[in-house]
Amino acid sequence: MKVWERGIFTQFDYALFMGALILALLGALGIYNASPQSGDYSFFLRHLLWISVGVGVCLFVMSIDYHFLADHALLFYTLLALLLIGILFFGTEINGSRSWLTFGGVSFQPSELAKLTVILLLAQYLGQLNENHLEYRHFLILASITLFPMILITIQGDLGTALMFLPILMGMVVVAGVKKQLLAGVLVVSLCVAPVSWFFLQDYQKQRILVTFDPGLDPQGIGYQSRQSQIAIGSGGLFGKGLGQGLQSQLGFVPEIHTDFIFAILAEEIGFVGSILILMLYLLILMRLIRIAETARDRVGILISTGVASLIFFHVAINVGMTLGIVPPIGIPLPLLSYGGSATVTVFAALGLALNVYQRRFVYY
Amino acid sequence: MPIFQDNRELLQRLNWLRIFFVLVFICLFAQLWSLTVLDFDYYQNLAEQNRVRILPQIAPRGLIHDREGRVLVDNVYGFNLLLFRDELSDLDATLQFLMDGLDISEEVLRERLKAAGSYSIYQPVVIKENLSMEETAYLLARQSEHPEVEILKQPRRIYRYGSLAAHVAGYVGEISPAQLQEPVFRESKAGDIVGQFGVERTYNQTLTGRDGRRRVQVDSRGRILHDLEQIDPIRGEDLTLTLDLDLQATAENLLGENAGAVIAFDARSGEILVMASRPAFDPNQFAIRISKKEWDQLLENPDHPLQNRTVQNTFSPGSTFKIILALAGLERGIIDTETTVTCNGSVDLYGHRFHCWKEGGHGEVNLREAIQHSCNTYFYLLGQKLGLQEIAHFARQLGLGVPVGIDLLGEASGLVPSEEWKRQVRGEPWYPGETISLAIGQGPILVTPIQLARAVGIIATGRSPRLHLLKGDFQQGSTAGRELLSPAFAPENLQTIRDAMWSVVNEGGTGQGARLADYQVAGKTGTAQTISLSTREELSESELERLEDNAWFVGFAPRDNPEIVVAVIVQRGGSGGSSAAPIAREIFRLYHAKYKSRGPAGLEVASQAKQEKKL
Repeated sequence: MKVWERGIFTQFDYALFMGALILALLGALGIYNASPQSGDYSFFLRHLLWISVGVGVCLFVMSIDYHFLADHALLFYTLLALLLIGILFFGTEINGSRSWLTFGGVSFQPSELAKLTVILLLAQYLGQLNENHLEYRHFLILASITLFPMILITIQGDLGTALMFLPILMGMVVVAGVKKQLLAGVLVVSLCVAPVSWFFLQDYQKQRILVTFDPGLDPQGIGYQSRQSQIAIGSGGLFGKGLGQGLQSQLGFVPEIHTDFIFAILAEEIGFVGSILILMLYLLILMRLIRIAETARDRVGILISTGVASLIFFHVAINVGMTLGIVPPIGIPLPLLSYGGSATVTVFAALGLALNVYQRRFVYY
Repeated sequence: MPIFQDNRELLQRLNWLRIFFVLVFICLFAQLWSLTVLDFDYYQNLAEQNRVRILPQIAPRGLIHDREGRVLVDNVYGFNLLLFRDELSDLDATLQFLMDGLDISEEVLRERLKAAGSYSIYQPVVIKENLSMEETAYLLARQSEHPEVEILKQPRRIYRYGSLAAHVAGYVGEISPAQLQEPVFRESKAGDIVGQFGVERTYNQTLTGRDGRRRVQVDSRGRILHDLEQIDPIRGEDLTLTLDLDLQATAENLLGENAGAVIAFDARSGEILVMASRPAFDPNQFAIRISKKEWDQLLENPDHPLQNRTVQNTFSPGSTFKIILALAGLERGIIDTETTVTCNGSVDLYGHRFHCWKEGGHGEVNLREAIQHSCNTYFYLLGQKLGLQEIAHFARQLGLGVPVGIDLLGEASGLVPSEEWKRQVRGEPWYPGETISLAIGQGPILVTPIQLARAVGIIATGRSPRLHLLKGDFQQGSTAGRELLSPAFAPENLQTIRDAMWSVVNEGGTGQGARLADYQVAGKTGTAQTISLSTREELSESELERLEDNAWFVGFAPRDNPEIVVAVIVQRGGSGGSSAAPIAREIFRLYHAKYKSRGPAGLEVASQAKQEKKL
């Protein structure tokens, strides 16, 4: 098998790549607008740097045959797992989660990259099975692959990131094929486990869930965040207040404006029309990812692309749903738009995997 | 890899996934539509209510007390008008509105806005301080039309006694862009009021409190709905000065309309008791942001009221310099108490005739008589023997030529000449005749009153205390002169000079004007020419009057175990004996009356001080 191949750009999904790049640059614009009050543009400049790193990583990941990557998935997975364990002892704590590696002033969250290794290993395992109806024992292995890093990340104190592994597993398993009884069984178990897990949640996490169902609860406290983000978005109206005019965000009503609530500041400034355009760009990316899965050469390719689609879809749906007030506030970033090096690089790397599958969709003899 | 894969079922299920994605996105679109379009009015209304304003809560500066706890510098609260530029919709309309109801010109308004150009847009600009009742009423009545302005109670400096001790207290003013770059102001931001002069400047960091702020939610008319955050301001630390306001007021009153300076310090501790400089200014003028016009007027005043003459201005020491020469002569063994000189009224040296001030001369005089009567001839000859280098050496030993390191900024160094100095600055060699003039404190020798006072203090006690204005933990105002002088003069030589100085005042010498019956004052007068004798001869009588000499008196008391050192200079005051000595006498007299019942000036009990609170 050749690892490096000629003609990388002859089979390149320009729509997917350009859609992602436009979103990333819109994110940079939002971060720029969130900055001028303090006159500190370092977030903006750093974000631009991360975008360029992301694009480089994307093209690099694309250029290595995905079969090679999938064959070594267990190796990558093990390395990342070791890294996650190491962080428990040597990591840096930022905003209450000990999930950061810091070297040379740059902080990185390996938990983001772990998502990719899980996608690769799940795709590799499911591809080898070549089985349309998964058995319980198969599911047990798949669940173990997913739960192991999840538990480590939860211990690190980053429940939001940990939870995002589940929808990846669900998306891939559903597409790979699963017996209806099994799916029903998993749902029943989940429903039973959910009330029990309630007792393991931190108080603030419980509050967040309650507030989603009853925003009137504590309007100045926890509900405050999502309420302020709704006010910002709602007051943007059809066309928005104009770039740089988002008073709600600029005056500090919207929390975490450049990370988790970046959608709110953009929506306030560019209104319904602009926000729909952003969501349409995400939908375009997701449709391309499903298309790539459909045209993939083999099962591994289908499942890699499905995993990437699930990853991006659930992040977008939950983050936007949170800023719109229909999902409990979970601290996860909006792919491509939010400030954050690890997340940005990871999403670009994930897109690189999908482009990789697309580029090698024809079987040559 | 399996050879054959049947992936048709997978493709079918991918289609479900696609449908699921689209359905979820439709939900997001719907919610977005609902927020931004259906409920727009509701959210816009909430957003309107969400306006916040950050109302600065300026921290009052620390108070400044005199040594007896009397408040010299205080704070008062007044109503100030603030403009929030981020809420400004029509600048011209706002300016017109302000000009209509306030006593303020468009020029001043624009000046203030321009000065605020460097602040953050969210930081309000102070448009006018200390609003009158009428102005407040005018603004309040129209506030709903002009939400961009707000009246806020803010502290400002008040100098309780106006110009009294103005040069010590100093003044405050808005920080300048250049000052913002200075490390001492690193905790200040544009628009802050900081100390600019005097101890206000030296101890700015101590006096400055920590500003608080009030973050409030306001509606679209600028009405406060409720508080979001309140951080209370913390007042700066108070200072206690070593000044005695009773003595200070006496000194300033006696100087009156004359330009001049008085400095007095405790000979034992170095605590400054009096630091008077006339003419003075009223620092209250600066407490309200001073306009460029008022500032220029003060700067262009020919009498330079902003200068602290005790430390910033230099003068010829005149005959007061003779005591330094006398000490040099004794220390070097050129003269002793018995050495005599016959004064015939003049002496010819280096082809030039040098006159004594007394026509006909003093006859035969020894050192004590030469000092007592300030005989020039004696010192001409002593100076000739000592030479420039020795004279300069002893002048420096007594602290001339370097700042004394008082805790004020901008202290002058004065000038002690040398041959190199003459060559470098004037481009000429040092002529022997100049040494003769130097011997009586004329020519290129310049001192600040505080330097001369310290030199007298060293002669009086044999030690050099560090002079300072702040009681307790004072800091150096100037880095130069930081090394404390450690004079090592023979005690008997110092005693000889002290005795001679006592005779100046008490045995019919030139300083009789400073004599007190119950306090043994010792001193030396000086009359420093402000122009050379040759020029003098070309001037008419009236011009001469205008350019009269500077009058000096420097002294200490009592003769044994001195407690207080005083230096007085009256510019254009004629002779030292007639105008400067009486001022010094009043300082000595009041000091003695006030402190005789107590221990050293540094140790008196506060309760005693309160009873004598009069000014």
